[in-house]
Amino acid sequence: MKSFHPYGEEALLINFEQAIKETIHQQVIALKTAIEAAQLPSVSFLIPAYCSLTVGYNPEELDYETLCVLIKNLETGATPAINNQTRKLTIPVCYDEEFGLDLKELSTDKQLSIQEIIKLHTTTLFRVYMLGFLPGFTYMGKLPESLVCSRKTSPRLRVPALSVGLAGYQTGIYPSEAPGGWQIIGRTPIPIFDTRKEHPFLCQAGDQVQFEAISKKAFYKISKKVEARKFNWKQIGCEGKIK
Amino acid sequence: MNKHTITLTIQKTGLHTNIQDTGRIGYQEFGVPSGGVMDRTAAATANWLVGNPATTPLIEITLMGPSIRIQGSAQIALTGANLSPQLNKGTIPMYETLTINKEATLSFGKAINGCRTYLAIGGDWQVQEWLGSSSAATTTPSTLTPDSVLQKNSQLKIQPRFFLPKRIYEVNLRPIYSDPAFIKVVPGPEFELFSPYAIASFFSQTYTISNDSNRMGYRLIGKDLKIKLKREVISSGIVPGTIQISNSGQAILLMRDAQTTGGYPRIANVISKDLDTVAQLRPREGIRFELKQKGV
Repeated sequence: MKSFHPYGEEALLINFEQAIKETIHQQVIALKTAIEAAQLPSVSFLIPAYCSLTVGYNPEELDYETLCVLIKNLETGATPAINNQTRKLTIPVCYDEEFGLDLKELSTDKQLSIQEIIKLHTTTLFRVYMLGFLPGFTYMGKLPESLVCSRKTSPRLRVPALSVGLAGYQTGIYPSEAPGGWQIIGRTPIPIFDTRKEHPFLCQAGDQVQFEAISKKAFYKISKKVEARKFNWKQIGCEGKIK
Repeated sequence: MNKHTITLTIQKTGLHTNIQDTGRIGYQEFGVPSGGVMDRTAAATANWLVGNPATTPLIEITLMGPSIRIQGSAQIALTGANLSPQLNKGTIPMYETLTINKEATLSFGKAINGCRTYLAIGGDWQVQEWLGSSSAATTTPSTLTPDSVLQKNSQLKIQPRFFLPKRIYEVNLRPIYSDPAFIKVVPGPEFELFSPYAIASFFSQTYTISNDSNRMGYRLIGKDLKIKLKREVISSGIVPGTIQISNSGQAILLMRDAQTTGGYPRIANVISKDLDTVAQLRPREGIRFELKQKGV
């Protein structure tokens, strides 16, 4: 099922079955976890994605063929679905029209009321498939079929930080202000990229995420607490360190 | 032995002058590119010439050099592109340990060859790190790595440790930059998805580096490849040196500050040594690719 490919001279690419499916991604995360736990020599970084794992290594420390053999010999567990390290985060989002910049247009396009869009977004359990594009930008999936949408034909020059958006089968959060073409439906008061912290990232590939609708009042209340460093992170299910 | 702190003051910025080291490793999975020096061989040589460990930060100077006032006795070295370096308006040699007594102004002139010059200064650099590296961050660098973005009036402090007897990097080991450059690659992960015609076109043409090229990547101007892939490419991790082909058949050579994930097909990857050569290519210069032979 897995194929190994040299990826330049300092990386190895492991391709799984090429499809976006939770069961395939669980295998990606299981292998990533196993490689980290084994502390294989020469491995310097890992990039998990939808159905692949990039392994960065130092060829002067270990050659490509030996690294492949070491990885192939790792026990990744018979049922990769059993991963007691999966974290579940509950992220509050305010879907008020001040923040949900594309909600009205999306409602017309998808022929759903705004309430229905919010219901669909908050009752789906999402999976963080990968981070990329910007430090801390999360690609989560999959959206229910009725919410699947294309990117905006004219991307915004500036998407406000912490905007929650939709594109294709994915949903995600902008960690900082950036240009972007995702359909913006709300904003979270939770900094998913907080440079005040030693480990500034809230999410990692493999996390499960549930969105929760909150009022504007609650949004500002949480924002203030976060700013004053008085927010209780346990509230969103974030316990312990990621790395 | 002089232990007085060296102070650098940027008088003129130049085109793109920033601090880099060997990069930010281990955070690619969070969307943070490794960054780091574009020409690793030139940077390592510069640090060696002043007795610094290879991981010491240094200044990466692109095409149009800055004017830097160096106060304090210091040992410096310049490698990479020849941008006509001068100390107190006098021409200085590259690839040698240079000792400055008390103070001097380093400036640059005409770009003779290459694209990036490395300035190493012997000692411990007092530069803030972010996620274990002083390399200027790829997004909001002034916020994340304020010391590493060098602008007019920026100041930098370096604590010297000792002075070395003069070192000279052998002349016949110094790179010669050719135009076009012949760059060795290995097949990319999606190499097999390209038609023989596309592969032939990729290897037979001389691409030109476009003006729209920087630390994130080089856009290559050339004949668009006619691509009709056998399957869709799902977003996957990106490493520096990856050559992607866009939907319209254009080639993009991703470099150190490239985004860490991408969904375009990857036709080839530049070999490590030759990525240093790519780092020295200037806009409008030519580049040709050839497949690295096994065992070479």
